[in-house]
Amino acid sequence: MKILSRKFGEIEIDDDKILVMPEGLPGFDGFERFVLLEDPKTAPFCWFQSVDEPNLSMIVMNPFLFKPDYELDLDGFIGTRDWENTTPDDLIIYVVVNVSEKENETKITANLMGPLIINQKNKEVIQAVISDTTYSHQHNVLTSS
Amino acid sequence: MLVLSRKVGEKIKIGKDIVINILKIEGGIIRVGIDAPQRIPILRMEVFEKIQNENIESVSRKTDEITDAIELIKNKLPKE
Repeated sequence: MKILSRKFGEIEIDDDKILVMPEGLPGFDGFERFVLLEDPKTAPFCWFQSVDEPNLSMIVMNPFLFKPDYELDLDGFIGTRDWENTTPDDLIIYVVVNVSEKENETKITANLMGPLIINQKNKEVIQAVISDTTYSHQHNVLTSS
Repeated sequence: MLVLSRKVGEKIKIGKDIVINILKIEGGIIRVGIDAPQRIPILRMEVFEKIQNENIESVSRKTDEITDAIELIKNKLPKE
């Protein structure tokens, strides 16, 4: 199907690339269908784009690129869902990124508290909340190790 | 908003399978026990708001304003 995206204008996407957020995206009630757009020009940043609202597009990235020891209890998470026959290997993790400019310095933060957990098997996405750890919602990516 | 008064040890039932217990009140702090199915997300509101705000901020960023950030992060990440 054709969708209108914020970054890339009108693009064609395969129907099987459409992801569904059954619990919605915090801050954007009513939008459930998204697609993950990758582009070599903006890598490692990707775009979590609403299928239904062109302006609704978040910058996301793979957290393990800058935080290799990022830990999530995926087995525990799967246990809270009605996801049958799903293993941690079926899940892909992205985190929401924010870029800001302060005193001519670019700051990049990532929300390690609210990862997007994508189930490749059933195409569902949940923004999980990891509140029982010390992970920050504004983790500094550039000084991360 | 529905407002109820409860004493310590009393409970509130919400729907079929959620029960809120008032466990303890001490020095302005109320300890609440919540019995709910695992599929129901229960969050401290301020934690939810942090996540919501990060989402909103990320959407508000102009997509052509991240060119510098891409360079910075590429330099930071290990080369493949």
